[in-house]
Amino acid sequence: MKRMLLQALVATTLMLSSSAAFAAEAGSYVSPAYFAKDEAAGELPPVTERLPENPAVASMNDLGHQGGELRMLMASPKDSRILTAYSYSRLVGYDRDYKIVPDLLESFDVEEGRIFTLHLRKGHKWSNGKAFTTEDFRFWWEDMANNTELMPAGPPKTMMVDGQAPKFEVIDDTTVRYSWQKPNTEFLPALAAAGPLYIYAPSKYLKKFHAKYADAAELEAAVKDSGQPSWGALLNRRGNLYRNDNPKLPTLDPWVLRIKPPADRLVFVRNPYYHRVDTQGQQLPYLDQVVFDVTESKLIPAKAGAGETDLQARYIRFDNYTFLKQAEKKGRFSLHLWDDSRGSNFALYPNLNCNDEAWRAVNRDVRFRRALSLGIDRHEINQAIYYGLGKEGANTIQALSPLFKPHYQKAWSSYDASTANRLLDEMGLTARDDDGFRLLPDGRRMTIIIDTAGESTEESDILELIKDTWREIGIDMFVKPSQREVFRDRVFAGDSIMSVFFGVDNGLPTADMSPQEFAPFTQQQLMWPKWGQYLETGGMNGTEIDMPEAKKLEGLLMDWRASPDTAGRTAIWGDMLQLWSEQVYSIGTVANIPQPVVVAKGMHNIPDKGIWSWEPGAHFGLYKPDTFWQDTAKELSPVESRLQ
Amino acid sequence: MLRYLIQRVLVMIPTLLVISMLVFTIIQAPPGDFLETMMAEMQARGENMDQDKMEFLRKTYGLDEPVHIQYLHWMFGRWDGLEYKSGGLLFGDLGYSFEHNLPVSEVVGDRLTLTVIISLASILFVWVVSFPIAVYSATHQYSLFDYVFTFLGYIGLATPSFLIALVMLYFANIWFGTSIGGMMEPEYVGQPWSLAKVMSVFEHMWIPVLVIGLPGTAGMIRRLRANLLDELNKQYVTTGRAKGLAPMTLLLRYPLRISLNPFIADIGSLLPELISGSVIVSVVMSLPITGPMLLAALRSQDMYLAGSFLMFMAFLTVIGIFISDVLLALLDPRIRLGAGAEK
Amino acid sequence: MTDVRTHVPHGSPMTHFVSQAPFDPYAVDKVSPELEKIYMASQWRMMWLRFRRHRVAVAAGLVLALMYAAILVVEFLAPYGQHARNVDYIYAPPQEVHWRHQGEFIGPFVYALDYKLDMENLQRVYTENVIDPRPIRFFCEGDTYKFWGLVEGNVHLFCPPDNDTPLFLLGSDRLGRDMLSRILYGMRISLTIGLIGVSVSFILGITLGGLAGYYGGWVDDLLQRAIEVLRSIPHLPLWLALAAILPVTWSPMLVYFGITIILGLIDWTGLARAVRSRLLSLREEDFCVAAQLMGASPGRIIFRHLMPSFMSHLIASATLAIPGMILGETALSFLGLGIRPPITSWGVLLNEAQNINVVALYPWLMLPILPVIVVVLAFNFLGDGLRDAADPYR
Repeated sequence: MKRMLLQALVATTLMLSSSAAFAAEAGSYVSPAYFAKDEAAGELPPVTERLPENPAVASMNDLGHQGGELRMLMASPKDSRILTAYSYSRLVGYDRDYKIVPDLLESFDVEEGRIFTLHLRKGHKWSNGKAFTTEDFRFWWEDMANNTELMPAGPPKTMMVDGQAPKFEVIDDTTVRYSWQKPNTEFLPALAAAGPLYIYAPSKYLKKFHAKYADAAELEAAVKDSGQPSWGALLNRRGNLYRNDNPKLPTLDPWVLRIKPPADRLVFVRNPYYHRVDTQGQQLPYLDQVVFDVTESKLIPAKAGAGETDLQARYIRFDNYTFLKQAEKKGRFSLHLWDDSRGSNFALYPNLNCNDEAWRAVNRDVRFRRALSLGIDRHEINQAIYYGLGKEGANTIQALSPLFKPHYQKAWSSYDASTANRLLDEMGLTARDDDGFRLLPDGRRMTIIIDTAGESTEESDILELIKDTWREIGIDMFVKPSQREVFRDRVFAGDSIMSVFFGVDNGLPTADMSPQEFAPFTQQQLMWPKWGQYLETGGMNGTEIDMPEAKKLEGLLMDWRASPDTAGRTAIWGDMLQLWSEQVYSIGTVANIPQPVVVAKGMHNIPDKGIWSWEPGAHFGLYKPDTFWQDTAKELSPVESRLQ
Repeated sequence: MLRYLIQRVLVMIPTLLVISMLVFTIIQAPPGDFLETMMAEMQARGENMDQDKMEFLRKTYGLDEPVHIQYLHWMFGRWDGLEYKSGGLLFGDLGYSFEHNLPVSEVVGDRLTLTVIISLASILFVWVVSFPIAVYSATHQYSLFDYVFTFLGYIGLATPSFLIALVMLYFANIWFGTSIGGMMEPEYVGQPWSLAKVMSVFEHMWIPVLVIGLPGTAGMIRRLRANLLDELNKQYVTTGRAKGLAPMTLLLRYPLRISLNPFIADIGSLLPELISGSVIVSVVMSLPITGPMLLAALRSQDMYLAGSFLMFMAFLTVIGIFISDVLLALLDPRIRLGAGAEK
Repeated sequence: MTDVRTHVPHGSPMTHFVSQAPFDPYAVDKVSPELEKIYMASQWRMMWLRFRRHRVAVAAGLVLALMYAAILVVEFLAPYGQHARNVDYIYAPPQEVHWRHQGEFIGPFVYALDYKLDMENLQRVYTENVIDPRPIRFFCEGDTYKFWGLVEGNVHLFCPPDNDTPLFLLGSDRLGRDMLSRILYGMRISLTIGLIGVSVSFILGITLGGLAGYYGGWVDDLLQRAIEVLRSIPHLPLWLALAAILPVTWSPMLVYFGITIILGLIDWTGLARAVRSRLLSLREEDFCVAAQLMGASPGRIIFRHLMPSFMSHLIASATLAIPGMILGETALSFLGLGIRPPITSWGVLLNEAQNINVVALYPWLMLPILPVIVVVLAFNFLGDGLRDAADPYR
């Protein structure tokens, strides 16, 4: 499987490079016919003036042509932010080998892991034609991030190292520098994330809403008009580049929202100032428009089967495959299976901070966690629910990650009831009741109540299968579904003994990506919420870590953050993963569940075999949707205006 | 009569106030608030939000205040001493929708029109179908067709509509190529009205109308039939018949008219129905009407959107009950006098 | 009817008819024994006599009686246990019961199922192995169960032929659970929900409606306003709010009771109004005034004198309210607020069937819709019959 994937990757590799050789041919750029009228009317400058002096050049095997429209199905008008992820225009971004390369930036330099110098492209413009310069960085850092009315908690956490803000310098119109006292390893990955850290903002547009720049009376009227409580709220609302819900907000993405949400059909049109071209000089994106049809999420598989989408994976689940495969025969689309990158589709999280003392003691015993893991027949789960297509194993990183070692996945994850029983006996849990279930030291039956947000039948099915095999090791189980907020509250408060949730988010890390998921770090971690809360609040709430192994993980995470080079980071990652797999802090089930991807006939540059990953990869983002194109361009949905 | 009217209107004010408190309590009953819901949702997708930012937002939107204060702000707006500052349902400010990040008044938009269209169509459907069936079964009580028609009517009542909705959508797509869900083909969404758009709406509308209308049909048949039977057994009908009135004339002229009286009493529930639509069916069918929006707002605790919407519906109900009471009082003096005679 | 219009030429004298029988002035007052039975019969008996004439209602009543009897012995009727599953037979379609194998009669049997995994479509394909008949066993030993959670047993009405051959008369679901057994176990929950829920709203309705109707005045006004308020708020937010109030630590069984009570709490207004308006008119009747003058307490008057006179009506309305509750439960399940697995109700089953895969590939999972329709229909017909019968003097 792994080799096949790699081959597929290599075969379709598409690289982005800012080739200097190409710049010589400047002037031969091809403007899309989409803007012909606007150009002729003089409302839009010619393409050479729209592109930066040195545009990014996308090279690909399958060169296409401009035009056409891509329809996708979404479940909420709020999903307009998904296009921000799919567009994947970042200052720096991952390439297909998960290396960080410049994209909006022309280049960047890193010194000692702590001094970052970013070079913008000269002549780069926002989608409204205004220049994209270092002023936009300054505005964000000085007037937004460090403005207490806008961000009372100060700049985002990733911008702070040991509580220290960076020194920010504007060197010239296209160069800025951030220097910290110590290395900031999380800076670049944060810029490249699916939901990225934005360290710039369209200053020209947003100054209208900023108390420092705007006319006080006008601003007050605007605030009142919008129903917002303050100018800060208004600016945050109007200037959210990630949410992508303000048609007036300039962007650097390939497509610009042209419909005011909330709407049931969101139309995005191509950005006339987009910074990428193909090797023939055609301005990207190829597709003129992207359309999101908003519908009920449960109907999306059915609509995909009826051919009402050109590209769809979101809201389609593995169990829809059979239905879609039948629908594929009608010839409107082809169905692919991509690899999901999560550490485990679902994993169990014994709560090390639970309030019940007897259970807390048991949960903290590594033998108990190992025994529970050994007591799961993952093969049966895989066969019954995933047709044997998943990967059975622990909740850890995936084989495609360069950091992967097979034993991480195999550790304590084979079905072995006798070893499990032996471990539990060793712990002294030998007393049993009449039904053959073990008893806790305080005499209660060992009935684990598993909290679940209970949103998919898949989850409850897996638990049902686990329940049967746990009986073999004398453990009773009982599932407690509750609404998601209640679920989280119960875990955070320590009311829950064990919970079930998705596995590790980033299953494909490289050494340069943060290992924070594998160490106490935030309250959101279901196995040690109180430790996470303690770290997150600087000791105000939660409890201090009182287990040596977890403490060690936390220390390793600190080390990783301070580590200036990749070799050092790789070593730390290795230590962490090793400890993680020995300690079985979360119990994985089956991973790598294939993700069905529906691709309309006549679509190009979408790989048959890809990796479905939100972080890193931004789902389709890694495969550069601005290079997707159509054989026969679809008719365009009408929009009121093509320009901002 | 005028006294009766004034009395009724005066009673409506405290009623609405009590409703507003109840509505607000109901919306606040589920644990957590909108921000927590949002955070949970983001977490499930692997996106994250700082604890600090959440606290900030909570403060900005006044979610950290006690419930009764939030209620007062929602209902009566914010005051600085005696000086009115902003907001307040009473001042026509519906509040702010967190979910959509817009003032509530801008969220509803087109949905209201479509909701009224679809509700009117369903009500029309119910009447058109139930009327002849009820008249037939009342005049031919215990006949074969009486049984057959009532049976068919009841089938509609007995079927869980959400399941039928999905099945019908699927087969309408397979057989007629109708796009699944929604009120029109996607390409007409957000476009100005045109003949093609209207046709597309018609093509899509029959399924929801059928699914929403059927359960109501049985109830309507039953009530109309019972009323009509009561009237038909009265002596004036016998007299009329004895006098040789043609059966049809007799039926139409008196009993049918009188048996329609209860329908007027229905207006009260009709008005709010017009704007709420059938929530579950519209969720399943992804109809762009108000129902799914209300459900989503309730679920995510988007409290001002949900609250204002519910208040609007409650207001319509109260107005509806008022109208039907007045109409009934106009039609039937006994009720008018009876209201005072209830000691 | 009394339509005796004979054709008589205008103006001619009318023909006369004189009876030859001797005149007995008391003839009308004489009562035949049968008639006497009716005249002297209690109200309930009259109701029954009249109800019997409504054939469909009687049939509906019988169906319901059978179903309610069945929920007492679900463990025995269901071929499999409530949580029994067989992952070797996932999504097996309903099996056909055969009687003759190659022309030879051997009683009810099924063929063994051959199973093939179609990896191309990721679909499990089952074919009958037609050379291998396996007779169904009756009154046999199968999955063990705890009868009503108390007595252990393992006897079933009928069981799969043997351990290797499944018996899925209504097919199996995504974990290889027998749909028939699940529907039967779901029946216990769904049918009792209606009863308990109606009892709650019945008690509330009678008490509150009774008080309002009897005392009138401000009590009545207060109740009227309360009902008006409650009816002005759509059910949906009430459901959401009440379901959210249920303590999260409750076991599924308690949640189930909680939900029935929620359904009852929301539904009482109709009954209360009915009680109230009846009482308002009844309390003006002479027998009520008489009781009052004799010094009977309000409670005694309401329960001893007034209630019997409209109980029949109430029962009819209550019957008609039950199907609403059963459907309400399915709706709650749809919203994710109702009963949740591992407890099985029809609402849970239908909600699981609520996706495109089932509609297109595994339609037998939608079968629980049939018992829902049957039960709701039956309750409606029964209620109609009862209501017609409730007014025996008409």
